[in-house]
Amino acid sequence: MIEIHGLVHVYPDGTRAIDGVDLRVEDGERIAIIGQNGSGKSTLVRHLNGLLRPTSGDVLIDGESAADQRVAALAAKVGLVFQDPDRQIFAGRVQVEVGFGPRNLGLRGAALDASVAQALAAVGLASEANRNPYDLGFSKRKLLALASILAMGTPTVVLDEPTTGQDLRGVERIQGVVADLHAAGRTVIAVSHDMRFVAETFARVVVMEAGRVTLDGTPAEVFAAANWEALARTYVEPPLASRIGDRLGLGSTPTDGALVGALVAKGA
Amino acid sequence: MIALCTAALAFVLRGWLAPLVALAVVGATVAGARLGRSFVPFVLATIPLLISIVLINSFLYPGAHDTVFTIGPFRATGTGLTVAGQASLRILAFALSVAVFALTTPTDDLLADLEQRGLGRRASFVVGAAIQTIPRLAARAGEIADSQRARGLDTQGSLWRRVRGIVPLAAPMISGALSEVEERTMALEARAFSAPNRRATIRPMPDTKLERALRWLLGLATVVLIAATVTGRLALP
Ligand SMILES: Nc1ncnc2c1ncn2[C@@H]1O[C@H](COP(=O)(O)OP(=O)(O)O)[C@@H](O)[C@H]1O
Ligand SMILES: [Mg+2]
Repeated sequence: MIEIHGLVHVYPDGTRAIDGVDLRVEDGERIAIIGQNGSGKSTLVRHLNGLLRPTSGDVLIDGESAADQRVAALAAKVGLVFQDPDRQIFAGRVQVEVGFGPRNLGLRGAALDASVAQALAAVGLASEANRNPYDLGFSKRKLLALASILAMGTPTVVLDEPTTGQDLRGVERIQGVVADLHAAGRTVIAVSHDMRFVAETFARVVVMEAGRVTLDGTPAEVFAAANWEALARTYVEPPLASRIGDRLGLGSTPTDGALVGALVAKGA
Repeated sequence: MIALCTAALAFVLRGWLAPLVALAVVGATVAGARLGRSFVPFVLATIPLLISIVLINSFLYPGAHDTVFTIGPFRATGTGLTVAGQASLRILAFALSVAVFALTTPTDDLLADLEQRGLGRRASFVVGAAIQTIPRLAARAGEIADSQRARGLDTQGSLWRRVRGIVPLAAPMISGALSEVEERTMALEARAFSAPNRRATIRPMPDTKLERALRWLLGLATVVLIAATVTGRLALP
């Protein structure tokens, strides 16, 4: 369980990026964090593995304050996939790249090989294990970065903008990974601008604006027409399915499935 | 420009007087340009270096026997103290000159000025790119370190651990720099950077008589003194 209490983060230059956030994440939840550029999403998630320390407030991981733990220790609990894969890829072979994280956590031999193979299979890169990462296209490098965190087997996985640069199939891959993690009981937190991906993939949506949480609920609650004004303030446009559902007077239908279901129910 | 000259002067000259003069010019510039507070960090940054210079030279200057005072087994020598004082002043003058230059000269101004003075646009681009790249590289290095620490890289552990961490930190840095060069080249070509005609300057630089006179004076002094030093007329200790 992750608990955030009264979190404030002020950068050295005086930017108040997080301005009082309280959030509680139960084990196994799937949460998306949305909000305009600069609203503090990346700053918030960097507190979960200790890369940033609170200016005030506290972050508890399984009841223990993150402030008292080293990043290297927190890395075993919370895996964070950064937005830009090119700021982490260093190895000459895909396999070695993916093995870096689990190796740092102490895995060796058959256990290490198994975790690498499993992570590569999860993102669909099993056949690329011996290639040079720099020979892969951007979308595959991004999946590689995801695999290199998955292989660490952390109870919580945090994804910062996972779908940028992905085509439809890539997005489906990532949706599959989130579903697998969920099935395994692991917690998934994602920062995203892709509202369709958010509504279709996550059970809970947290909206940030200027360093605070302004909305928090299921996709149907957060994307309900009553909130559109609040969403527009932080430059979030609800998913297409929501807008169609509202036009047709079907209520809040943030996903394609919900929209079709409501249409069928109305027709019947 | 003034700041660059004083930096060069401070570097070349020895003795007491020259660095003091250079410091005075720097001080006048700081006051004149109202740099005040933003200047403080630069002064603070030189302190550790100055302290080590003073300690090492005072107590360990080779072959000096004119003991001034002793602390335990260490003897401070007069020669050492003199050398330390002069070296400190020189470093201070040099560092502060560079700081004044960095604080007072926006990259854009410097580049526009260089180009207007007939420095080729390739050369002025190289100067500008080098200056602008520094903060970007620093930000990139920070992100890379964060990414790898999130993957369990221990940057605080034993020496061996830190040595092993060099490749994961350095490789993304190098490949990033390389791909940036490639992107820049393409962006430049797309904007007709290599087109042969001379560019029109949109923003002319204001340049008063006084500024010009000062610049010439300092420039001349710098050249003369460097020449004197190099030809051995001004003795180096
Ligand atoms: N290293 C930093 N130093 C100073 N300000 C920063 C830094 N990183 C981010 N910020 C600022 O903090 C605010 C929140 O940034 P960020 O958390 O990256 O937002 P988001 O991920 O929602 O786009 C922004 O105003 C941003 O400019
Ligand atoms: Mg961000």
